[in-house]
Amino acid sequence: MTFFGLHFQDIVFYTLATILLIAGLRVITTRNPVYAALYLVLAFFTAAGIWLLLEAEFLAIALVLVYVGAVMVLFLFVVMMLDINLDKLREGFWKALPIALPVGGLMAVEMVMIVGARNFGADVVPAPAAHPADYSNTAELGRVLYTDYLLPFELASVVLLVAIVAAIALTLRDRKDSKSMDPAKQVLVKKADRLRIVKMEAEVEKNDVVDTSAQADDKGAK
Amino acid sequence: MENIRYDLITALPEIILLGMAMLVLITDLFLKQSNRIAIYGLSQLGLLLAAYFTVTTHVPSVGYAFTGAFVDDAMSDVLKLMIYVGTSLIFVYTRQYIQLRNMFRGEFYALVLFSVVGMMIMVSGQSMLTLYVGLELLSLSLYALVALDRDNHFATEAAMKYFVLGALASGMLLYGMSMIYGMTGSLNISDINHVLMNGSGIHAVLVLGLVFIVAGLAFKLGAVPFQMWVPDVYEGSPTAVTMLISSVPKLAAFAFVIRLLAQSLQTMAIDWQQMLLIMAVLSIVLGNVTAIAQTNLKRMLAYSTISHVGFVLLGLMSASGNGYISALFYIASYVVMTLAGFGIILLLSRKGFEAQNLSDLKGLNQRSPWVAFLMLIVMFSMAGIPPTLGFYAKFAVLQAALQAGFLWVVVFAVLMAVIGAFYYLRVIKLMYFDEPEDNSPITAPFDMRVILSMNALALLAIGIMPQGLMTICFYAISRSLS
Amino acid sequence: MLENYFPILLFILVGLAVGVGPLILSKLVSPSRPDSAKNSPYECGFEAFEDARMKFDVRYYLVAILFILFDLEIAFLFPWAVVLQEIGLFGFLAMMVFLGVLVIGFIYEWMKGALEWD
Repeated sequence: MTFFGLHFQDIVFYTLATILLIAGLRVITTRNPVYAALYLVLAFFTAAGIWLLLEAEFLAIALVLVYVGAVMVLFLFVVMMLDINLDKLREGFWKALPIALPVGGLMAVEMVMIVGARNFGADVVPAPAAHPADYSNTAELGRVLYTDYLLPFELASVVLLVAIVAAIALTLRDRKDSKSMDPAKQVLVKKADRLRIVKMEAEVEKNDVVDTSAQADDKGAK
Repeated sequence: MENIRYDLITALPEIILLGMAMLVLITDLFLKQSNRIAIYGLSQLGLLLAAYFTVTTHVPSVGYAFTGAFVDDAMSDVLKLMIYVGTSLIFVYTRQYIQLRNMFRGEFYALVLFSVVGMMIMVSGQSMLTLYVGLELLSLSLYALVALDRDNHFATEAAMKYFVLGALASGMLLYGMSMIYGMTGSLNISDINHVLMNGSGIHAVLVLGLVFIVAGLAFKLGAVPFQMWVPDVYEGSPTAVTMLISSVPKLAAFAFVIRLLAQSLQTMAIDWQQMLLIMAVLSIVLGNVTAIAQTNLKRMLAYSTISHVGFVLLGLMSASGNGYISALFYIASYVVMTLAGFGIILLLSRKGFEAQNLSDLKGLNQRSPWVAFLMLIVMFSMAGIPPTLGFYAKFAVLQAALQAGFLWVVVFAVLMAVIGAFYYLRVIKLMYFDEPEDNSPITAPFDMRVILSMNALALLAIGIMPQGLMTICFYAISRSLS
Repeated sequence: MLENYFPILLFILVGLAVGVGPLILSKLVSPSRPDSAKNSPYECGFEAFEDARMKFDVRYYLVAILFILFDLEIAFLFPWAVVLQEIGLFGFLAMMVFLGVLVIGFIYEWMKGALEWD
């Protein structure tokens, strides 16, 4: 199936790629950070579409599930709730532009020259043969991930553990203003926890000072 | 899959330390405040056990585990032992400091141990994937450690900078690795080398990948022009964490550079030599010149680190066996010096007071002649004045660079080292010829005093007899790099 | 195999058309005469007191971050479940070690009280 010399897959690819590029550009140019986050969601979606075209289905689904479903929601949450001063964020944009633009442009030109069609074109890197319909990318991944790549796989769990520890250590704190009560603690309380009995000399009123000293003298005399 | 028994034995030190980190994390939850010291003991025990198994399972030959993702060679064992010793010293030096600052928690020790596991993986990684995961494990733990003192705004800001720039560096590294993978079709260090030896791969693409890898590595090492995070992070972090960041991870970064550049991209030495040369020269210049203007001790040491990294790169740049050996020698000496230097800063800090300005060192000789003498040795060593260790380290690196034919670079580096000596000597002047500004007594636990003294005196002892350390470095490199 | 995804592509396109179509139609067809009173935020007839954005309790993020971490863990379970027959006991144990490490994190989280909200 071809349209104007393009395969249907190519059309889908170019559509997705165009949306991806525009969305990516808008992420960094749009004024409102909430819109920026939403453009990033769009970028993730279209990237997932491109990965699907590459027959990397599992990664495409994981991208949507993990990044769009969880990471970006958190992102959006933070951006929407935080009191961000937008003007301050854009300060220095024009001042940095004369340096940033040529450097960025130079890098882009270099990368286009090297990663472009000359080194990675369809004639240099032939397309891999299409897989049959019952081919499972997920199974292929699973076959090597838990055997050949055992070490990085297990280390990934350690990285996740460190992330848990870091997240809790950095954010969790005892709230001083919390008024909630723990019934278990209330029930377990003993007299000794609340009541302190202090042994002390019997108090004598101040205006009796003369008298007591006299009594003391008396005692001493006896 | 069949050799799982061999795999597990090879990675036994990592597994033990990982187990100990998790044990510390969980044990801490059940301990009362007064018994917290047990987690300190557990952490030290973990390092000791890991060291024991690293030594007993050591074989002089090279062994691969986990389908080639993990390597056990002389270099990895030597570097791991250095990492254990360095971390153990850090635990000793920082104990009192973090107790006084409400950071003596299970998280601190667990995160340090996790970062050590990350370093060990970086040292032993034989696939780009393993290396990268190890690096992330190390970095993630360090970001969290920097911010662990939550009510300290400087620390939070430092953590933020460290995290953003570190993530950027990781991204660059990954992009470079993906280019290399695309050209060679393998993530394995030795496989990549074999493929490149056969001359396959488009050179321009490989160089693009190399540029990104070198930039990522330079970020992590803190070499100019990717050094901007170093002074801010050193200054902002709690001194205990600064000590960690500035010392042992450099050993892991050294191994990382060796694995990536010297082992997998060996055939592209001509390309990365030039990059390292430029970064080395710039680092030595900027580190030494900017350090003169600093009034903050931690900032000064940060710039000093940048210049030391420059010297290490000078050794690596020679791309010869001698160059690698001298670079390893230099980085090991640097770690010993830095630990002693930051140990003394921790010694001078007390509750509610951070010794971090140069003026805090004023008249140290009158307050405590012995501590002043130790600092004198450290400063002499950092400046590279004979007969200290720092002198011999610089000498070895410059000799290797000279052999590789970089005469002018060597002359230039010597000149810069002389300029750099100025700010180290200024510290000595402050200690010996100025009047003290505060006369509060220096208090420290007995074990810290003893070990810190031994650490600083080691600079002198190894400086006079460097053969031992040199032999170890020679053994590590010659057995691991063919 | 990509042909199998064609219905999904069609579905997405139809979904987009249903979502975007009315927006464009209303933009074109409906009358639009905004004025300043119409555009101002409505808060029970009062002037708006303050910006809707404010400092938020950091624990909301903590819950969200912990969710993401376990979400990532789940992502690793899918390929494992698909090939468990092939990778056998070895693969099973590999995943158990992976989960074991995360269980340590879970115990830590639980004991620390990060899952409590008071």
